[in-house]
Amino acid sequence: MKKGQIVAAAAVLYVVLMGVAWTIGTRQAAQKTEAMLDYAVSDMRVSLDGVIDTMLEHLASIAVRHFKKADAHSLEEVAAVAEAFDIDEISVVDREGRVIATNDPDSLGVDMLVKDETRPFADLTNGVTQVVSQPFRRHAYGNSRRKYLGVPFPGGDGYVQIGLDESRMDRMISAQLAFLFDAQVGDTLCYLCAVEKTGKLVSKQLEDDMPQTLAELGFDVSAFPDSGAFLLGEAEEGTAKTFVQWLAGRRVFCRSFLFGGHRFIIIEPADEFYGSRNMIAAAMAVLLALVLGGFAFFLVRISGDSERIKAFYRAADAARAKEMEIAKTIQSSALPAPLEASSYFRLSASMSPAREIGGDFYDFFMLDSTHLAFMVADVSGKGVSAALYMMTAKTLIKDALLAFRDPAEAFSRANAELCRSNTANMFLTAWGGVLDLETGLVTFVNAGHNPPVKTEGDKDKGRVSKYVTKKSGPVMAFMDGVEYKSRTLSLNPGDTLFLYTDGVTEALDHKGELFGEERLMDAIKAVPEPDPKMACNVVRMAVAAFAEGVPQADDLTVLAVEYLARPLRFVRSFPPTQEGIASASEYLDECFRDDPDAAREDARELGSRLSPLAPALHVILDEICSNIVKHSGASGFEVDVELIAEPAGVKLTFADDGEPYDPLSHKDPDTTLPAEERPIGGLGIMMVRKMSESMSYERVHDRNYLTVVKR
Amino acid sequence: MNIDKKQDNECLTVKVEGRLDTNTSPELEAEMTLDGVKEVVFDFSMLEYISSAGLRVLMTVHKSMAASGGAMKILHPNAMVRGVFEITGLDSVFAVEA
Repeated sequence: MKKGQIVAAAAVLYVVLMGVAWTIGTRQAAQKTEAMLDYAVSDMRVSLDGVIDTMLEHLASIAVRHFKKADAHSLEEVAAVAEAFDIDEISVVDREGRVIATNDPDSLGVDMLVKDETRPFADLTNGVTQVVSQPFRRHAYGNSRRKYLGVPFPGGDGYVQIGLDESRMDRMISAQLAFLFDAQVGDTLCYLCAVEKTGKLVSKQLEDDMPQTLAELGFDVSAFPDSGAFLLGEAEEGTAKTFVQWLAGRRVFCRSFLFGGHRFIIIEPADEFYGSRNMIAAAMAVLLALVLGGFAFFLVRISGDSERIKAFYRAADAARAKEMEIAKTIQSSALPAPLEASSYFRLSASMSPAREIGGDFYDFFMLDSTHLAFMVADVSGKGVSAALYMMTAKTLIKDALLAFRDPAEAFSRANAELCRSNTANMFLTAWGGVLDLETGLVTFVNAGHNPPVKTEGDKDKGRVSKYVTKKSGPVMAFMDGVEYKSRTLSLNPGDTLFLYTDGVTEALDHKGELFGEERLMDAIKAVPEPDPKMACNVVRMAVAAFAEGVPQADDLTVLAVEYLARPLRFVRSFPPTQEGIASASEYLDECFRDDPDAAREDARELGSRLSPLAPALHVILDEICSNIVKHSGASGFEVDVELIAEPAGVKLTFADDGEPYDPLSHKDPDTTLPAEERPIGGLGIMMVRKMSESMSYERVHDRNYLTVVKR
Repeated sequence: MNIDKKQDNECLTVKVEGRLDTNTSPELEAEMTLDGVKEVVFDFSMLEYISSAGLRVLMTVHKSMAASGGAMKILHPNAMVRGVFEITGLDSVFAVEA
């Protein structure tokens, strides 16, 4: 995950969680607010009721003591008491429920038991009930609303009922009830005020400089649930709807209720409830920021780590790829470079490892001027281990072939050595042969390898391909002490031997079918000309076409060698004397003679074609042989005349067992000196060098080999 | 090799036929008695080839002629022989006539 994505995800999570917390907090605060307001409203109602009832009960009790018992009193007397009590109505009711004295002329003689609303007062005559109170209700004979309360005479012998009009509440609230509101004023939890119908505040003794109305106090009356209708005296009781106001810059929740013709408003500052929500939200905001931030940071670090780890592995892969590239180069360089073009054979080979490096290999090299060694091999397994073992095996087998020349001997020795050094339990199959260019005879050893295909290139009979015998010795590096046996096969000029590894025959197509020996044979037969390079390419392309789309599973190696012609060579030894040189000169002449007495029948045509080179060759032979005879101390010397058809020329090889002497290491004499100052002699080698196309010197097995090519 | 010598007063003409190499040069060298000879003329029209052994004889003759104030001349060498003279730089030392 990208750094940006992590941060974005954390931010989204943060917003969502905060939203949820905020919503829950808000809902809880709202519920708490409603509950609190409900409680405040009912509490205030009870308080108001209680205070007024207590006051009225007190007044009624005084009246009971004043009247002593339920007797008839004059209207004036009762009115005087009401006046003194500052209440609106006083009635004395006898045990039968009849009003026998009152300050209200309409009530006198009224039977209290008749009307439903007055009947409850009858309880006062039972001798037990001490007070009956009723809420404000519409007065029976007028528009005002009045509250009644009754207290019995002793023994329940009639009772006194007093009535209080709403209109008198103003005074009562500010005079007797103010403490209720004052108790709340300034309280952070609850604030209460009473309002008369005109919208004027009545809950306190208001000084002139104080707010006198709701509007002056800062209320937006239009936002009240009843849109301030109560101001007209039309509001219903019990409007229990919470509404919001802004007072002195504070957000407050309000609930209003009517009591005794007055509006009471309970005010709760919003932050009392939402403060905790806000605090929790703030705490959560910080906490969540820390937790999510930390988590995001952690993830970013982790993802950074994973990026670093990926980068590390990328770098490691790149390093490994580079190493493998180097290994591939090393391995490729271990494979032999193409041999110098020869008139006697053509050879082509290739190895395609399944991975960067492989366990297959091929090799070819000249054991001497007339013996070509060649082989293919397949080390078990693939990759690095196989490649490393392949390097060892290749070196050991090549060394053994160079040392022992006979493939059987070489393979046996190499096998012993491979067994000794084989700690990884590898093994290899190999097919190696030595082609004698003089005879076309191939001496070969098969160590558990696939049999090569021999193609006879007879122009008259047409080309015929067949597998060489499958008879084989055991695989190499597997068993110590194996004595391999050499077999032979004969090649005629134009014949081709095709070697390969199982990467060819065991290539798979997409159906899992093997390429097989039959398809290989078909591919070889499809090669249009006896050309090793073409044969290799045709087979590789056939395998590639067959296995199209299927990854190469095994290393694939092909090697084809075509025997072109027997060398036309004349080799003879001569004594290290003047006569020996003379004989060599005569022998040289023989090589170019086109007559029945010529040294070799098959050289007659080419010999006569090359005869124009003879004088120069004589000079060369004369110079070198006289050098050998005079200076080397050899016991004899050998002259090898090789007639080469293409490109036409003659190769002279002089071999002697004398002192090591490399004529090429000597400087030419100065031919610009005047004749008088020139040393006589020393010209010979320079002449040979200038008259020949190439010269080379080798010291092998205590013998000097000097080769001169003249074209 | 055949050597055909003709002495005319102080001029010695030597016609060499065949090959002048390490085998035959000693023979030629032995034939080269130069007492009283002022000029040596080698006729190489029939010479097949010459190796450094032959050149050595020619150089020896050239030197002794130069010492005695005489002269040496080479007539009609074939391309092969002329090539050897050129390779060795002797074409500028010897007086060679085609």
